[in-house]
Amino acid sequence: MAGSSPPHRQSCQWASPNRSSIIADILGDDRNSEARHKSLLESAKKEHDRVRLEAERVYRQHMQKEEQQRLLEEKQRILEAKRREEERIRLEEHNAAERTRLHALRAKKIEMPPTPKEPEPPKATAPASIPPPVHSSSQATSMNGTTAPQALQTPALFGGNKPTIDSQPATHNSSGVQKPGPASQTTAAIQASAAPNARGKAQNNGPSLQTKPSQAPQTTQSTPQPSTPVTPDRYTVIHQNLKILRKFMIEQAKANKALKERMGDMRREIRKCVGQLTGGAGANRIQQASIINLLREALGNQVGSAPMDPSLFILGPRNPVQGALHNEPQLPSLFFYLLNIFSKATVSQFINEAGAKPETADPVGVCIAFVFSDPEFLWRGASLIDILMAKFRIVCPVLFGYRGNEKTEQGRARLGWWKDNGHWVGDQQHMDRMTGLGAGFAAVSLRKFANSKKDNPYPPRYYWAAMARIVNTPPAEMSNTQCVVLRSMIQNFEHKFIEFYGTAAIVALRMCLVEFPARAPQKTPAVGSLEVLGQVLKRDAGLHL
Amino acid sequence: MADLASRITAPADTPAPEVPSAAVEAPVDGAEETNLVDNTYEVEVKLSDLQNDQESPLYSVSSFDELGLPKAINDGLLAMNFKKPSKIQEKALPLMLSDPPHNMIAQSQSGTGKTAAFVLTVLSRVDLSKPTQPQALLLAPSRELARQIQMVVQTIGQFCEGLIVEAAIPGAIARETGVKSSVVVGTPGTVIDLIKRRQFDVSQLKVLVIDEADNMLDMQGLGEQCSRVKSILPKTIQILLFSATFPANVMAFAEKFAPNANQMKLKQQELTVKGISQMYMDCPDEKQKYEILCKLYGLMTIGSSVIFVRTRDSAAEIQRRMEADGHKVTALHGAYEGANRDALLDDFRSGRSKVLITTNVLARGIDVSSVAIVINYDIPMKGPGDREPDAETYLHRIGRTGRFGRVGVSISFVYDRKSFNALAEIARFYNIDLIQLDPNDWDVTEKKVQDVIKSSRAKADYAPNATSG
Repeated sequence: MAGSSPPHRQSCQWASPNRSSIIADILGDDRNSEARHKSLLESAKKEHDRVRLEAERVYRQHMQKEEQQRLLEEKQRILEAKRREEERIRLEEHNAAERTRLHALRAKKIEMPPTPKEPEPPKATAPASIPPPVHSSSQATSMNGTTAPQALQTPALFGGNKPTIDSQPATHNSSGVQKPGPASQTTAAIQASAAPNARGKAQNNGPSLQTKPSQAPQTTQSTPQPSTPVTPDRYTVIHQNLKILRKFMIEQAKANKALKERMGDMRREIRKCVGQLTGGAGANRIQQASIINLLREALGNQVGSAPMDPSLFILGPRNPVQGALHNEPQLPSLFFYLLNIFSKATVSQFINEAGAKPETADPVGVCIAFVFSDPEFLWRGASLIDILMAKFRIVCPVLFGYRGNEKTEQGRARLGWWKDNGHWVGDQQHMDRMTGLGAGFAAVSLRKFANSKKDNPYPPRYYWAAMARIVNTPPAEMSNTQCVVLRSMIQNFEHKFIEFYGTAAIVALRMCLVEFPARAPQKTPAVGSLEVLGQVLKRDAGLHL
Repeated sequence: MADLASRITAPADTPAPEVPSAAVEAPVDGAEETNLVDNTYEVEVKLSDLQNDQESPLYSVSSFDELGLPKAINDGLLAMNFKKPSKIQEKALPLMLSDPPHNMIAQSQSGTGKTAAFVLTVLSRVDLSKPTQPQALLLAPSRELARQIQMVVQTIGQFCEGLIVEAAIPGAIARETGVKSSVVVGTPGTVIDLIKRRQFDVSQLKVLVIDEADNMLDMQGLGEQCSRVKSILPKTIQILLFSATFPANVMAFAEKFAPNANQMKLKQQELTVKGISQMYMDCPDEKQKYEILCKLYGLMTIGSSVIFVRTRDSAAEIQRRMEADGHKVTALHGAYEGANRDALLDDFRSGRSKVLITTNVLARGIDVSSVAIVINYDIPMKGPGDREPDAETYLHRIGRTGRFGRVGVSISFVYDRKSFNALAEIARFYNIDLIQLDPNDWDVTEKKVQDVIKSSRAKADYAPNATSG
């Protein structure tokens, strides 16, 4: 209100010299003339409008202020809710850990003699609220030969953290907030599964101190990130689900002889085919066809593997799509198992072969795109490539924006530095792995589908995003791992990248090969090799960055 | 231990052991919220994990920078993805580069960087302002190996302006011009021919390198030719002898060949590369070896592979069978010559074919980094009537995999008493534990192979952490 008075007063002051002339007017001759009457009406209307406009302005101002206040309060409320959510997560995590410890203690008392050889207890995956289903029960059902109850059992095996269509709306509860809500929900779920897992491992391995620090980073890794987008960590859940799937298949094979006979041969055949892939047009027709045939056979499910919900292995929920070949809520578990084996074989090929010889990644990338884009293997109109990307997320986290210090235990864990027998693998081995995976990621994400009727399961924008995540690292957090991955993402793929993004790609390459290494606090060989790649591109491709 | 300690930063002076976890977890965009949740203290990597096996052939302390190489050469190394020197490079290079030049006899396991070590020496000694004046001569026992070394010189020297490298092998040097390069890589016979025809000016040679020296100096083979070459060269030339194996009788001759040489030697038990998992397949009879061979390719992730056979006929038969199984195969043996052989090997090197079937002609030196498995389809034998097991050849054969700290697998086929005994003797000679595989249950064999690879992966690479450099 205070704002509105000065103009008012001003208008009075401004009017006053006129007043004397008004008196003169009244006394004047034409005071009753029509013209005068009209002009008075006119000025009255003007004044009225002015007042009205002024009032409206003040009203709007007031409303704005109120809105601001409301937003502020809302933000406070969200922050408060978030804090409460985090507190809850921490509590739940703690409870879950306590519970697993309790389980472990109980288990210890009963089954002393058989020491567990597999360090991953599947029982730990269930969130604290649901009592873990006993493995033997699902086994029993499968023995009966009926597949339907088995199918009901399987989701329970995977814990509550799958985004099924029914459960999804329920997650949008009281919090009512757009992003942090579901995000923290998921992380809570991840923790519920990851934390007890880690603890469980440490416990199972008994008094060996070596394993403990190695597990710790995995727990911290998923803890503090309500601000991250949901997607990256859904991948770790998928990865866990795939592990459970593998165990589940072994269990099934024990009871299902037809499955056992076929499963191993199929697995080895896929691995062989992936190993045979070479460069050159049409060179891989036989291999790709036999992989497709094996997957088709698995979908046909002659061996009677248990059906399973595909949403366990994808990022978000999907609704049936008209015209899609597969809209059913469940598909044979053998199909997912083989997709998993195929993904595993390709990632392993990247690590082992492309690590030594990065140019071998390309034909494998072609094969991946070919298989995952096949309309027969889509579910509800989209590919199941999340199975492969979940593996990438675990073995090469820097592609997904994760960073770490190579001199610390936790840093290495975040960077995907592998451990063998409780010890970090050597430097050379790690860098070889990263080289192969960087090249492999490029080979998967830089595929041209312009001339194809099929949809690209992993379009180039993911390549761009991964590159941006690395290049946008603050200098203090840069690692050799990132440099090595970045370099192998670029080398041999620069022409494809430029083909997709044109001038923007050249600017991006300049960021990667000139500006990024220049910012590095330490000129390590890994940093140097980025700069040298810039020189090589200049010499061989005439590319001035 | 002193030098080890100096490489590791003490916790006190590490700039930031606590990487703010929020920043770490938030990829790119989610930077607006400063998340205060556990600002975790990050534990430094344990010394034992970084490195403590100083005996490992890949262990080394320094960086290439510290060797004081010219920038052009250093950039070449970076372009090849060499991050830091291996032990042989780190130890032998300062000795070889010192002035006045000293002779050198160096032994190091297969795939540990011998070639790069002598190539670096050669490149450092060459005066690039005289690009067509021969200054370094490198000798190898086969045309394949000579071409391979030529390629390594060219790759490491890719930023050295004016560097010309020629291969003195049959059919490679034009009769009209003769040798017009500063670095010459060749086989002894061709080199002698060129010198005799006065097409190779040796007057200003500064370095002579002999790769696979034990093979080259063997008096039953190339030894005489090498001696003749040496007798024509300037007396002041620096002589460098390299091999993974130096049997005692050859060593004596080598010491005469390269007088007053600095020496790096290995004990017999140190010869095998730890990263190579060595197994054997117990085949019921010779006929089933084909079948079993094809099955091996489903057991593990295989990039490229090399299969060693005794005869050309069995090479052809295996090639036929494997191609029927979808493999792209190259068979390379003495029946092919010259440019044909080059083209065949190039197919394999480039990855157009991923299986190489060969006889002993390629047992030595050939470096294809993606070779994941070596199969001794026949156990290597020597002597009249193939009576004795050939331990040296076995070692060179399996050394085609597990290059530079990578994991590799070798599987040797035995099917009768003779082959079994021969392999057992080789195993005793090097003191290796060969793991038996059984062709009856492939699920079990697959599991076993995976386990063996896993356990030897841990041994493969003791190389230290480059982050400290």
